[in-house]
Amino acid sequence: MKTIKLLTFVLLSIGFIACSNDDNDVTPVLLPVNSEAVSNLHAPQNGGQGQPVSGTFTKFNFATGQETTSDTEWDIAFRGTTIIINGGTSLGTTDEPDRTGNGAVYITDGSMSTVTEVITENLVQDSSSSYAIATGSGNGWYTYAGPPSHLINPTPGKIIVIRTHDGKYAKVEILSYYKDAPANPDAFVDESRYFTFNYVYQPNDNVTTF
Amino acid sequence: MSLIKDKSYFFLLLFVTGISLAQKQEMKQDSVQVEMLEDVLITATRTKRQLSSLPLPATIVSKKDLKTINAVRLSDILNEQSGLITVPDFGGGEGIQMQGLDAAYTLILVDGVPLIGRSAGTLDLDRITVGNIKQIEIIKGASSSLYGNEALGGVINIITDTPKYGINGSIQQRTASFETYDTRADIGYKNDKFSISGFINRYSSGGFDLNENTITNTVEPFENYTLSAKATYDFSEKTNIVLSGRFFTQSQDNIASEILQGESTIDEWNLHTKLDHTFNEKWESSMEFYATNYKATEFLNDNSNNTRFSDAFFDQIMIRPELRTVYKASEKASFIGGIGYTYETLDRTFFSESPEFKAPYVYAQYDGNPLKKLNVIIGARFDNHNVYQSQFSPKLALRYEITPKLAVKGSAGYGFKAPDFRQLYFNFTNATVGYTVLGYDAVPEAIAQLEAEGQIANQIVPVSVFSEELKPESSLAINAGFDYKPTQKISIGINVFKNLIDDLIDTRIIANKTNGQNVFSYTNINEVYTQGLEFSSTWKITKNIKFSAGYQLLFAKDKTAEEAFENGEVFARENPSSPSFQLESSDYFGLFNRSRHMANGKLFYKIPKWNSNANIRTVYRSKYGIADSNGNGYLDKYDDFVNGYSIWDIAFNKTIYDKYTFGLGVDNLFNFTDPQNISNIAGRIIYGNLTIQF
Repeated sequence: MKTIKLLTFVLLSIGFIACSNDDNDVTPVLLPVNSEAVSNLHAPQNGGQGQPVSGTFTKFNFATGQETTSDTEWDIAFRGTTIIINGGTSLGTTDEPDRTGNGAVYITDGSMSTVTEVITENLVQDSSSSYAIATGSGNGWYTYAGPPSHLINPTPGKIIVIRTHDGKYAKVEILSYYKDAPANPDAFVDESRYFTFNYVYQPNDNVTTF
Repeated sequence: MSLIKDKSYFFLLLFVTGISLAQKQEMKQDSVQVEMLEDVLITATRTKRQLSSLPLPATIVSKKDLKTINAVRLSDILNEQSGLITVPDFGGGEGIQMQGLDAAYTLILVDGVPLIGRSAGTLDLDRITVGNIKQIEIIKGASSSLYGNEALGGVINIITDTPKYGINGSIQQRTASFETYDTRADIGYKNDKFSISGFINRYSSGGFDLNENTITNTVEPFENYTLSAKATYDFSEKTNIVLSGRFFTQSQDNIASEILQGESTIDEWNLHTKLDHTFNEKWESSMEFYATNYKATEFLNDNSNNTRFSDAFFDQIMIRPELRTVYKASEKASFIGGIGYTYETLDRTFFSESPEFKAPYVYAQYDGNPLKKLNVIIGARFDNHNVYQSQFSPKLALRYEITPKLAVKGSAGYGFKAPDFRQLYFNFTNATVGYTVLGYDAVPEAIAQLEAEGQIANQIVPVSVFSEELKPESSLAINAGFDYKPTQKISIGINVFKNLIDDLIDTRIIANKTNGQNVFSYTNINEVYTQGLEFSSTWKITKNIKFSAGYQLLFAKDKTAEEAFENGEVFARENPSSPSFQLESSDYFGLFNRSRHMANGKLFYKIPKWNSNANIRTVYRSKYGIADSNGNGYLDKYDDFVNGYSIWDIAFNKTIYDKYTFGLGVDNLFNFTDPQNISNIAGRIIYGNLTIQF
C-alpha cells in the first residue's frame, strides 16, 4: 500500500514537473513560472473560541516569496485559520490591516495540476461584512475534525486562486496547519498556526494561466 | 451475543418437513407438530400467519432461542441475526441497522404497538429486556403499508408471553463480567376464562471503560427496572379482552469531567388494551387503545462551586386508538382493514415550541391464494398529518411454490419516516463553540432573531425556502428471493434487496455567523440506496446437531456522492500534509458505518442424556468507515477505516430435576475490543445463570 501511495505521489510529481517544463518551452519570452513551497509560516492569534480575536496578521508577498511587514506590499495575510487578501475593505477586527492593493481571491475545487487558468469573474475581495476566503470549518480552506482529534486540516482539493495586490496571479494549496507539516498531525502535540503551502506565481502581467 | 435469524429457517425446515411427511403419510409425527404450532407470526399481516408460506423476508426468534444463547437485552439477540447489526449511538445506546438502513428507520413494536423515545433518532435496544418475550418477529423491507411512519427499513415486533394453564412462574439470576447483574421473576395464572401475569426485571451494570486516560467511562454505571403485567379475560368464546402495562425506569451516572457530574434518568410507561370480538366465521374485529410516555432527564452539577451546570429533558407522549376488522371471504382469501389516530406531543429543552402531531390513518390489506400455488398480499395505507405531507404507502408481495422444495417470492413496498420533532423544532446554540442548529420550522423566527442581534454574517440559504414543508423521507423497497429445501435436513434462503430512499433528511449550513461559526438546519437533499444479498441456511447434521450460517453483502451509497466522484469533484491527500489529487468513482466506499460483508455461523449441540445443550456462535463484519478522516466530505478508500472483526460466543446449559437450569457462557471469547472506534463492545463477558421454574 505504501509503495502504491509513494508511486502515485511520484507519478503525480512527474506529471506536474513535466507540465511546468512544457510551459517554459512554449513561452520562452516570458518570465519563468515556478512552483514554490513555503514551510512553517507562523500565524499566531490571540483570543478565539468565543473570545474577541486580536493579533498581528502574518503577511506574505508572492513576488518575493517572503513574509513581509510592509503595510502595502503584501498579497495575503494569515492569523490563526483566517486568511485575508490585500484588496477590498477591512472587516474591522482588532489589529486587522487596511487593504491598500487590488488583490482578490477565490477558492476552487481541483489540484495544483488541474487548476491551470484564472477565472477572473470569480475573484472576490474582502468586505466589511465578510472575508473573501470564508471562515469556519468546511467553508473555506480547512476542515475541523471535532472531537476526539480536534484536528484542523486543509480540505483536500481546495486551491486558492489569487490576484496579488499589484494585479499578478498565483495559485496556492495549503498543506498543513501544524509546525513542520507532520504526516499524521496530533492536535494535542503538534503546534498549530504554522502554515505550509505550495504555490505557483505567475510573474508576467495579464497572463491568467499557470 | 448472537444468533438467531436462522432459527426461523429451522422452523421453516421442520414445517416443510411436516407438510411433505403428511403428504406422503409415511413419517411419524413427533415433536414436529409442536414446533409447527409456534411457527406463526402476526406482524406481516396483523393476523396469525404461517411463516413458511409468507411472501416476505421474515424471521422468528423464539423464546427457546433466547434461552439457548442466554440473551438478556434485545440487542444481544438481534445482533446475531443475518443482516442485522447493532450500532452504537452517542451516549451508549444501541440501535439496529437493517438492510443497511440506519437505526432510525426500523420500527420497534411491542405486541404490535410502537415504542417511542428516540431522542437522537435511535431507539436504544438495551432498554428492552427479553425476559418476558414469547417471540420476536422480524420483517425486512418497507412495511409502511401496515405500520405507517418509521417502518422504512423493516419492523421488529416483540410478542410478550402469556401464561400457561394453572399457576406457573420462574426466577432467574444472572451474574456477569463488568459487575452486570440481571434478576428476573415472572408469575402467571390461567384458567378457562381468565389469565394474569406479572414480570419484574432488574438489570444493572458497573459500566466499562475502554479508555483509561479519561475521567469518563465509555459506559457509566447504570441500573434499571422493568415491570410489566398482562391480563386477559374471555367474556365468551367470541369476545375477549387483553390489558397490559409496562413500566421502565433507569438511572445512570452522567459524567462530563472531573467537576461536571450528574445523573441521567429514563422513565417510560406503556398501557395497551385490546378488545377482540368474532362476529361469525367470516368477520372479526379488534378495538385497541395504546398510550405511552417516555421521559428522559439529564443534569450536570459543577462541583467546583456547587451550582447546576446544565439541565435537559425530553418528554414524549403518544396516544393511539385503532380499530381493525378481518373479513375471511373464503379459505383462499382474507381482508384486513384498520383505522386509527395517532396523537403525539413532545416537550423538550432547546425546542422552539411544544409541538403536537395529529395523524389519522387508514389501511387495508388482502392476503390470498388466487391460484393454489400462488400467494398474494396487496395492501396500502394512507397517513394524514397536521405538519408534514400526507403519505400513501402501497405494498405488493407474491410467493409462488414451484415445487414443494422450492418457492420463489418477491415484494415491493413503500416506506416513509416523518420528520421527527427535532428536525422541525430544534433551536440550539452550542454555548462553548458557538454554532447553532435549527429545526426546519424553527428557522424563520430564529434567523430573524439572530439577525436582529447582529449574529448573521452571511445568509446562504434564503429563509423563504423554509416556507415549503419538509418532506418525509421515503423509500421504495424491493425484495426478491427463493426458499429452497433440497432435503429434509437442509434449508437455504436467498434474498436480493434494494432500498431506494428519497428526500433523506440531512443537515446543511444555512448561514454563516459573525463569530465564524455556522447555522445548520435540516433539508431533504440526499438520495440514497442500499442494495445487496442475504443468504441464510440451516443444516441439521444429526438429530442433535444443527449448523446455521448467514451472510449479507451490502452496498450503501449516496447518489449525490456518486455523481460528485463521477464528475471529478472529489479530492484526497495521501496524508494530511501532502498535495491533493483527484479521486475516481471506484474510490467511493459508500455510507458510513456500513460493512460490505457481514456473516454469522452457529453450531448447536443437544445432549439429551445429560439434559443439556451447548452452542458456539460467531458474527463477522468487514471493515467500515466511521468518519471522513481526510476531510473531503466523503468516505473514500483513502480514509481511515475500522478494521473488520469477528466475535465468538459460547454457551452451555444444563437442566436438573426439570426445574433448575444452569447456564454458563462466554460472550466475546477472544476479548475483542477497539477502544478508538467501537464503543459498544466491552470485551470478554463471562456469565453464569440460574433459572428456577415452577
